[in-house]
Amino acid sequence: MPEAHDIKGIIKHVIEVIIDELKLEEVTVDTFSPDMDLIDELGIDSMDLATIALVLQDEYKIVIDEDDYPKMKTVRLIAEYVEGKLSTEN
Amino acid sequence: MAIKNEAAVKPLKPRFSDLIAPPEVKERWEKVRKYFFLRESTYDMSNRCNLRCDGCYYYEGEKQFAAENGEIQAWRELMQSEAARGITYVVLAGAEPSLVPELLDVCYQEIPLGSIATNGFKKIPESVGYKIHISVWGNDETSLRVRKAKNLLKKQIENYKNDARAIFVYTFTRENIDEVHEVAGMLAAENCKLTFNVFSSPVGYNGSLRHTDESLERTRQAMIDLLKLYPQNVLFSVYNAVAHTHQSGLHDLYTCSYPRQNSSQDIGLGRSFRQYRTDLSWDRSVACCVPDTDCADCRHYAAGSAVVTARIYRHVNSLSIFKSWLDYVDTYLAVWVMGYEKGKNLCAEPVSPPEVKKVGNIS
Repeated sequence: MPEAHDIKGIIKHVIEVIIDELKLEEVTVDTFSPDMDLIDELGIDSMDLATIALVLQDEYKIVIDEDDYPKMKTVRLIAEYVEGKLSTEN
Repeated sequence: MAIKNEAAVKPLKPRFSDLIAPPEVKERWEKVRKYFFLRESTYDMSNRCNLRCDGCYYYEGEKQFAAENGEIQAWRELMQSEAARGITYVVLAGAEPSLVPELLDVCYQEIPLGSIATNGFKKIPESVGYKIHISVWGNDETSLRVRKAKNLLKKQIENYKNDARAIFVYTFTRENIDEVHEVAGMLAAENCKLTFNVFSSPVGYNGSLRHTDESLERTRQAMIDLLKLYPQNVLFSVYNAVAHTHQSGLHDLYTCSYPRQNSSQDIGLGRSFRQYRTDLSWDRSVACCVPDTDCADCRHYAAGSAVVTARIYRHVNSLSIFKSWLDYVDTYLAVWVMGYEKGKNLCAEPVSPPEVKKVGNIS
């Protein structure tokens, strides 16, 4: 369960989820840029993104619409999306 | 056949972590997700074929008129540029790839994961380590009538029995449903692997191969019967049968993600998929795995392998639908990826595809 629901805390947790789910070994929470393009620079694709979205849904108890997946191109965009959902759904 | 409608039975959506908690589900999830890196494109290799089959996808539309580029260096450069843009899996198809073995070799050298769709009449050299999908359209009597080929199944088996690359793909048409038992028996006796396809009409085709609701229902039953009868030979699942014989085609059920039906270029197939013609050109507006198929009638096994798999998030509403999705993906990987072994299916009951509101019988 993520500890903080402010944008900084969400960014940190989204990075943790991505590193954990994709089993990334060459980056850490400190070295992972929240503005890195996940598709172009990290090379993740739709299945990875769907997996990350499913985990984040669980952890933040929000609903992430499948039509919104393509918007989630960076950690910051994901975190802002989650923050928006938390303020409207909880 | 009665189908359980999950939405009606269990409206509450479980947590994803709960879905993957059972050990057998967790194990299968971890097994299949290792292949999420696969990014495919397809390539017509030649405009020639040594057979002429009724209802052939290749000899429909514009692609059949593209000039043939047989330059080895041109193909090598194409494969290198494909790898550079992230393509990790190639599907080598029309018209008949076995006629250009030197090009298959080049593709394999540059991108080592892929598959070849062939009629199996001419054996593809063992140096090409791709999965080989051998199309079967019925028994030899039917093959002679529809494909103008004598003793085709016998020849196909002769060429590919004991070949770990080979998967025989039986395409169910409206006319050949009953003879699948004879064909499956012959293939099982030779220890060959078999999977199923459903004839999907080319645009404008209204001939006798086109399915009806009744023939789809019979096809589904035959698939499930053979899955039970030859579990060691048939690579399929009950959910595969449901998804591919539904009254609605794959596009209506799952929303096709190939560029032809998907304008988004943000991510997934809409972003990376290309369908190259024999002159090495491609056209986004018609790009899909079986071009010139009538999308409303598309139940093609290649289409489903990508489209159903991509819709993971629609399959997390219950444990049985998620297990069914895992069975589907496990099947797809066993059919398409060299070295991947299919596990035992996790869900033996027919579950309705997500977001289809019908309850009960499909027909």
